[in-house]
Amino acid sequence: MPLSRQVFSVVFLLMTALPLHLLAAEPGGEYIAIRKEGSGKIALALSKLDSRTTEESKLAEHLDTIIHEGLDYVGSFSMISPPLNVKNKGEGENHLINYGALDSVGAAVYVCGAVTNTLGTITLDMEVYDTSEAKLLFRKTYNGQAQQFRAIGYAFCSDLVEFLTGKKSVFGSKIVFVSNKTGFKEIYECDFDGQGVEQLTNSRTISLTPSLSPDGRYLAYTDFSSGRPTLYIRDLSDGKTSAAEKSGVSIDPAWKNSREVATTLSFEGDQAIYLITTGGVVSRRLTNSNGIDVSPSFSPDGNKMAFVSTRNGSPQIFIQDLPSGQTSRLTFSGRYNTQPSWSPLGDKIAYTTMDNGGQINIFVIGADGSGLMQLTENSAENESPSWSPDGSMIVFTSSRKGVKKLYIMNATGENQRPLLPMDGEQMQPCWSLFRQ
Amino acid sequence: MNKSIKGIVFLALMATAGCSSQTAVTSPEKHESNVTPSTANVPASPVTSAPSAAPSPSGYGFDRWQTGPLGDAFFDFDSSVLGADAQAQLKQNAGWLDNNPLTKVLIEGHCDSRGTAEYNLALGERRATTAKEYLKKLGVAPSRLDAVSFGEEKPFDTSAGEDAWAKNRRAHFVIKK
Repeated sequence: MPLSRQVFSVVFLLMTALPLHLLAAEPGGEYIAIRKEGSGKIALALSKLDSRTTEESKLAEHLDTIIHEGLDYVGSFSMISPPLNVKNKGEGENHLINYGALDSVGAAVYVCGAVTNTLGTITLDMEVYDTSEAKLLFRKTYNGQAQQFRAIGYAFCSDLVEFLTGKKSVFGSKIVFVSNKTGFKEIYECDFDGQGVEQLTNSRTISLTPSLSPDGRYLAYTDFSSGRPTLYIRDLSDGKTSAAEKSGVSIDPAWKNSREVATTLSFEGDQAIYLITTGGVVSRRLTNSNGIDVSPSFSPDGNKMAFVSTRNGSPQIFIQDLPSGQTSRLTFSGRYNTQPSWSPLGDKIAYTTMDNGGQINIFVIGADGSGLMQLTENSAENESPSWSPDGSMIVFTSSRKGVKKLYIMNATGENQRPLLPMDGEQMQPCWSLFRQ
Repeated sequence: MNKSIKGIVFLALMATAGCSSQTAVTSPEKHESNVTPSTANVPASPVTSAPSAAPSPSGYGFDRWQTGPLGDAFFDFDSSVLGADAQAQLKQNAGWLDNNPLTKVLIEGHCDSRGTAEYNLALGERRATTAKEYLKKLGVAPSRLDAVSFGEEKPFDTSAGEDAWAKNRRAHFVIKK
């Protein structure tokens, strides 16, 4: 142990003037971890973090918990206890990883690290090894202040997940949602894991359907401050808020890109979907049919829009190709299909179906209409699906325990669980694409 | 007491505005009907019942937000089509509005709690505007009518079951002071 500490100290001294997230060895590249047969999960052994003093050992314990929570949340890992003899003393200042012992317990990946505290600056040095290839995958140092504890731990989790899966991780993303906790429906945000809840509106009327722009700068939402449902776009950098300029409803926004948001407007009589600027000015009409057009959701490239329309009678999901203007119907199963949400990976669309008994369930369908899959069942109303930025998870509303609360699940419907404990009802979650 | 005052106002208004309000009434048959194919016959002359709180044909329509004698028009699930009962209620409301030409009303479109909230905001607006269009065809000046949707956000009856849901699927009238 003392030897490894010396190695880390050297790294620390080199990195001490540099900000959080600085790389000692750049994660990335083509490495994709082998997943354990059957479970689809990466077998990972994580040693307790090294520390020198009693105070640092407390920090190490805390960070250890955060890293475990982070990796647990992702749901891609099966955690294995490392063998006792995982590290042996080697020649000079190197420690040796006992790959044979790791292999015998079935660990595909081994993670170890150390925590130091120097005048309030916390440094986390992490190393990740591939046990079957017997080699270091990456080594990275993270610095931060004590109050950034969770961010430090999650920064490592984020790098680890991206390195091992080759995909962007959920770490650092935000979820905006509606809660009636104060007696009024207001907009709130929290971190991807339900931590750090903050109230964003205080209109004391009814605020609904929040949506963050892809760059995280703007919040679009509908509220009744004017006496009618009106779309507002708030610049989160300075708090400046613009209202959609047109009369009638302006409801249920979705961002096409970070400068244009789509919403339903009714100023021309029929309810149609329009694009408006962040200043609230109408720039383009997108749909043109008799009946309701509502709830837009865009493909990642912004060229296609899924939306709800009653042009054929009952509400169904349609897809419009924006360059050509061609529209085709996506859903044919069920009489009441609403709330489309296009996966950030582009291939799938989640939506909800209400059955004749009033139960609402979440389905996923290919953007080409293939591969329909039901994700929830027999659990009252399951609504408002929204994908994580990496497309691996879905946040949604469920009244399975009576009161509407937020839940998360894997994109396959597995591991459905509550997102956060909070008073009142929570609903209409929207997972941001941007990450801090 | 209040009623008799209103009656006097009503008589005075009839004397000055009665004629013009009659000529303002147009038959819906003259229009392209986009309200509903089953539109019932509209009275040839405006209803001239006394401006009292007459019971609504549906036997329901007064609630804690009701500020006057106008009854609610009710709808089927996921529908903004005016059925016979809804049309009869709107005709009665048109008559009252005709007799009270200085009043302006806000028509609130509401939905029951079933279905999804975003879609219901759109549906509620269609209910309110459908009721508004029907009143316009009955001769009520559009400048006196404003429509707003509350979707499923302000149910009259918060309990579950068809009885409650049926009360919540409505175009509700609020008289603006």
